[in-house]
Amino acid sequence: MPKFTRREFLQASGASLFLAGLPLPGFTKDKPPGTISVIMLEGGMDGLTAVPPFGDPNLFKMRKSLTPENYLKLNSFFGLHPSFKYFSGLLAKNNASVVHATNFPYTKRSHFEGQNLMQGGGLSPFAETTGWLGRALDLAKTPGRSMSLDMPLLLRGAHENDNFFPASIRNSGSLTTDLINMISNAHSEEGSSVFNKVSKKSTQKDSVVPRDPASLAKYAGKAMAMKNGPLSSVIKVDQFDTHASQGADEYGRHGERLAIVDDIIAGYKEGLGEAWDRSIILTLTEFGRTVKENGTWGTDHGWGSAALLAGGAITKSRVISKWPGLAERDLFENRDLVSTIDYRSVCAACIENALGLDHDLIAEKVFYTPKLPRVYDFIFS
Amino acid sequence: MNESFRIAQKIGLMFLPNSPIPTDIKQWATQQLRSKSPALGIKSASSYKKPQVLEWPKSLQPSLQKRDEMFWAFKENKEKFRRNMPGFQSEADKSRNRQENLMEDLDALKFAHRNVYGEDQLRLRFSSFWANHFRTANIFDNGNHIGHAIDEAILANINSDFSNMLYKVTSHPSMLIYLDNTYSAGPNSNEAIWARSNGRQAGLNDNLGRELLELHTVSPSANYTEADINGAAKILAGWGAEPGRISGDNLISLSERNRKIKEIGGTLNSWDYYKTNYAEPGNKTVMGKTFGPGKDALRQLTDFLAVHEHTINHVTFKLAQHFVSDNPNQTDLDHISRIWRESNGNLDQIHTAVIELAIASKEPKFQWPMNWLFQVTRLSGANAFVGWEEEKNNDYNDNIMRTRKIFEELGQGFWLPGQPNGYSSDKAEWLSGEMFERRIRFATSLYNGGFPTQKVEDIMNRIGANNVTRELVGSVMGGRRKFVALMCSPEIMGLENA
Repeated sequence: MPKFTRREFLQASGASLFLAGLPLPGFTKDKPPGTISVIMLEGGMDGLTAVPPFGDPNLFKMRKSLTPENYLKLNSFFGLHPSFKYFSGLLAKNNASVVHATNFPYTKRSHFEGQNLMQGGGLSPFAETTGWLGRALDLAKTPGRSMSLDMPLLLRGAHENDNFFPASIRNSGSLTTDLINMISNAHSEEGSSVFNKVSKKSTQKDSVVPRDPASLAKYAGKAMAMKNGPLSSVIKVDQFDTHASQGADEYGRHGERLAIVDDIIAGYKEGLGEAWDRSIILTLTEFGRTVKENGTWGTDHGWGSAALLAGGAITKSRVISKWPGLAERDLFENRDLVSTIDYRSVCAACIENALGLDHDLIAEKVFYTPKLPRVYDFIFS
Repeated sequence: MNESFRIAQKIGLMFLPNSPIPTDIKQWATQQLRSKSPALGIKSASSYKKPQVLEWPKSLQPSLQKRDEMFWAFKENKEKFRRNMPGFQSEADKSRNRQENLMEDLDALKFAHRNVYGEDQLRLRFSSFWANHFRTANIFDNGNHIGHAIDEAILANINSDFSNMLYKVTSHPSMLIYLDNTYSAGPNSNEAIWARSNGRQAGLNDNLGRELLELHTVSPSANYTEADINGAAKILAGWGAEPGRISGDNLISLSERNRKIKEIGGTLNSWDYYKTNYAEPGNKTVMGKTFGPGKDALRQLTDFLAVHEHTINHVTFKLAQHFVSDNPNQTDLDHISRIWRESNGNLDQIHTAVIELAIASKEPKFQWPMNWLFQVTRLSGANAFVGWEEEKNNDYNDNIMRTRKIFEELGQGFWLPGQPNGYSSDKAEWLSGEMFERRIRFATSLYNGGFPTQKVEDIMNRIGANNVTRELVGSVMGGRRKFVALMCSPEIMGLENA
């Protein structure tokens, strides 16, 4: 395998990134909004398995059993995990991109702090009772929907935000709107606002929706494609926390989870139909995993990871990265891939694109970081 | 709600239809902490007759060793399916393998039965609190252990002290398997040295060490470092028995399996299983304290962590948030942590302090989905779950769903997959349209298929329902609707008291 210096690699991959540029004017509100969907990967997705930087000579030294042999070459440096069959097609069609060595500025390796921060989007874990997507939707005065039984922190903040997860309870019949309304009326604001959503749902035609992630994504896509549908959706995939027997290829424990992400993206594409062209989908994970394989054929909690972006809003596929290197001296605390791109900037760019909000507004009101770098042009130009 | 039911809702599971209602609720509540009760349940729910409440049969509560052997057999049989051996080919063979060797569904039903029929409702609520604090979810090889951990490491130690429970849980196979400790080897252990010189891999896995500090004891507020996590992981290296097959490509007999297990860890007891070959030699340091080599270091570590100020504050907050108030005030927190310190972590005294504060505070507590289901089932005298014979024989009727499915639909259950931080006690985490819709559906299902013995009017009179509830129930027509309205009223959901 040829050795690359960092400079050579950046040229080879066409992946230069300059984060200190002056912010460019964002879209105005006149632009018809697009849709924004988030796939939350719970447990810490291993960016080095998902998008293996095979051009880095340290990759195979550090992790013997974790890198798939049958990765797809994206360029001379980065590969793509074989589980991403559908996603690779989108890359070929210039409708997807990868951001690598990225995450939120959180380095303490706790799932629960990390998950809270990646959703809350505040300055520290457990500081926010609303989520960054919820706040963005609130600013844009448009609703979003989570495809889950609970309402994730990520979407909290906009009153109209709702969730959907098909019920399957024997002997429970169909919902009776007037009964729900009576119950709702008996509750004070807190419970009433939630029961109102149940009531609203009861008036919609009950379609049978299977609960697998791909079907949920398809359903979410269809809803978002409708004229007055939600403009945002969230789907969660769990069990990325592979401390043991992580596996390498599509049959391994991590590979199976990645295949679910691939199915979700395919489901969105199908469901969105023509709305695909104004859509952006992004992944979100609390941290990447240790560069070095641990003693039990797995990886522990790290920092930088990779992120997948997909959607018709992207018109040129690329790998966006400022590669920090995998040599031990290049790692954060000698163990983790450094995050060289603040993922909040990526989230902000996706919000800007989909919801037509100005970057400065997003930086200040959504992420409480007025100087958050704008990376919009690296993704959407 | 009258005071007795308000308390039974907040910190218990509601009084069963025929049980007497205590006049001195505080005295009753503290006595409840020591009310020993066997696991109660029903054999069958298929008949229209009200099923008799009985003790769970011993035959369905196997020992830990038996559970380990069953799980090993399950995996060994799976290998036989892979090889397409006779008797291991059909779907029926597959489901027999599950039925004969996996305990998770029966254990989940036993837990549900206890909560629906148990006379020790406060103990059960505290037991669920701790089972959630020490969550060991069903991922991969853990199905035969979760129930044992809840019954034997938690409920059996509910009158003990925190340090004892912490050690018993940390060393339990349910925790060691769930948080990947079973294969963890010290970097300088015999196993790791052998592996390195043979081109194999062995080394540390810090999952349990990290969560022991972050979730179970001191919490991130203690500002421990990666080195502390590493120290804890090194102390833990060596703990845990292999849960599945141990013979590579070979199929072996049970006696051979047991001989090997004994050879590796010196015992067949997976709750006291320490592999010296995987242990890290030398001293370890965690948060400034040094621990010597060997097995005893784990107990020293958990004892050290158990009395740590940050542990006391962290767990005190969780207790108060679960039982007293979503936003517990500092005075209450100080009271509990003072009792904790003064009693050296005696759980009876800590729980008593929590009970007193829960009674004194008039704030309602929104009830978890599973506790709400147990409570409305108890109030109405309905059957929400099948009997153990039906579960055992996979014999479900049209009225009641599979136990596993009930918990899945509720969005909460200790036998579901999940993260080690457990379920939140903060109401905000549960306010979702889908979650509320489930309550309407479960109440409907309970009325339609569970044959409640209690009339809505009688339930309201018994609990002393408030005007909002009475008006709500009065405003809807028909038995089913009145039942659903009552069970989804703000009062019964634990949202409002007024």
